Amino acid sequence: MKEVEEKEEASVYQRVVLKNASPYHYLKVRLVLEDDSTRLSAVELKYFIITGLKSLYGEVGAALNFDVLKYDEDTLTAFLRVYSSLVKLWSSLTLLGSYQNQACAFRVLQVSRLNPRSSLIIRIFSEVIHS
Amino acid sequence: RVRNAERCARFATRSSTRVKHEGAVSTVQVSVLLPECSSAPSHLDSVLNNFSSFYLIKKLPVYELLDRHFLETAVYHGAVFGLSYRTRIDEDNCVALMPNGHLTLSLDKDSFEILGFEGKPSRFKHRTATRFVVSVDLTDSSMAPGRRSYLRLLTSLKSRLQLQTDFLLSHHPGGGASIQPLLSRCDWSQHRPEVNCRVLTNLPCPAPLSCDPHSFLEWLGAVDAGISCENSSSSFLSSFVCPEPNTMHRHALSVSVSGLLLPHDIHRLLQELRRYVEQPRLASWVSMTVRGFADSPVSCSNHEHGFLRGGENFYTLMMFHDHTYQLHLAMGAHDVCPP
Repeated sequence: MKEVEEKEEASVYQRVVLKNASPYHYLKVRLVLEDDSTRLSAVELKYFIITGLKSLYGEVGAALNFDVLKYDEDTLTAFLRVYSSLVKLWSSLTLLGSYQNQACAFRVLQVSRLNPRSSLIIRIFSEVIHS
Repeated sequence: RVRNAERCARFATRSSTRVKHEGAVSTVQVSVLLPECSSAPSHLDSVLNNFSSFYLIKKLPVYELLDRHFLETAVYHGAVFGLSYRTRIDEDNCVALMPNGHLTLSLDKDSFEILGFEGKPSRFKHRTATRFVVSVDLTDSSMAPGRRSYLRLLTSLKSRLQLQTDFLLSHHPGGGASIQPLLSRCDWSQHRPEVNCRVLTNLPCPAPLSCDPHSFLEWLGAVDAGISCENSSSSFLSSFVCPEPNTMHRHALSVSVSGLLLPHDIHRLLQELRRYVEQPRLASWVSMTVRGFADSPVSCSNHEHGFLRGGENFYTLMMFHDHTYQLHLAMGAHDVCPP
């Protein structure tokens, strides 16, 4: 769905409205592990998510196009960017229940369609105040 | 139908029209990007470090906002702005008090029925209305202390709903005395907006005019979030790259201020940025991004705001050397597109 509306006022002012035009979704997720001391590298995290996609959606799911934009190894928090298939990625994250024989869970902290930075400010305003 | 259809409006003008502040009233963060700049000029720096402080009141009974003295000294003068804190717009009861004297309560169905005051179903409803918005103009004569509607709302909030919430409160400069009596009855703390300043080196910047708005906004967001764009299209982790055509800037300054910010302060910042960009410099543009609270019941121009998936509610203003500007507004699918 895309709608472009243009309005000219003495050729100085232009207004364009785009609906649903962004092809990407951004997610901020945190991996919670049973054993807090376990650490994953960014590559291991991406591989882990791909295994989840593969077990739920097969080879086609494993080929899903997504990026790990940023990853913090200490908090196990990552920004993901996914092209169009948000539901597939989200559902496989939800169903990922174990990492190397220990229970784990992905917490989706924020979803945004527009701007990776939106995923940062989220509902974390509390952190701003108490820091 | 995709529910989270976002709308992105882009404005551009080619003449030296004045830049008008859009007035997103409930601002949580403003960030500024200055390309080819390693330290902010002193006048800009002082504006960034002098945003008004705000108060956090623990467990404020909402009927306190209807206190006669508070109305007369603060609300009628348009001096205060308040927002419930740590309440989620899609599950909790949220409250906002606007400088124009509007009190907005966004309530779930049960609370709305207990309150028993006139309201209307939220735009962000499911098949059946589960959320209601009560919006009251406290400056209206029918809401004057002692009048029937005023008493009805006061009794409802005092004896029936007994709504309590943590509340952020901010006042225009010089209005501090007007909210002291309210603060003295509650448990409160004062906070200053947090300023975060980063100097970025060797930053590739896309050309703002030849780049499509989505890619540009994405790039700005990535710079703000500290996301690296030194990837190639074949890398395993991320294929995010800076949009073409781009130029390398040796320095860039990224400053963000977080807290409950007043439109007044943002306007001052805007004026300073205009003065900054007017001077001849290496880079010909600056950008200012203003983000609203994701869980605020109101957004731009007092329209209702909801969360859906992301609660997006921000605008980016790009200002150029030749007095032209571009304004990128982004909001959720059910939010009203501003005029």
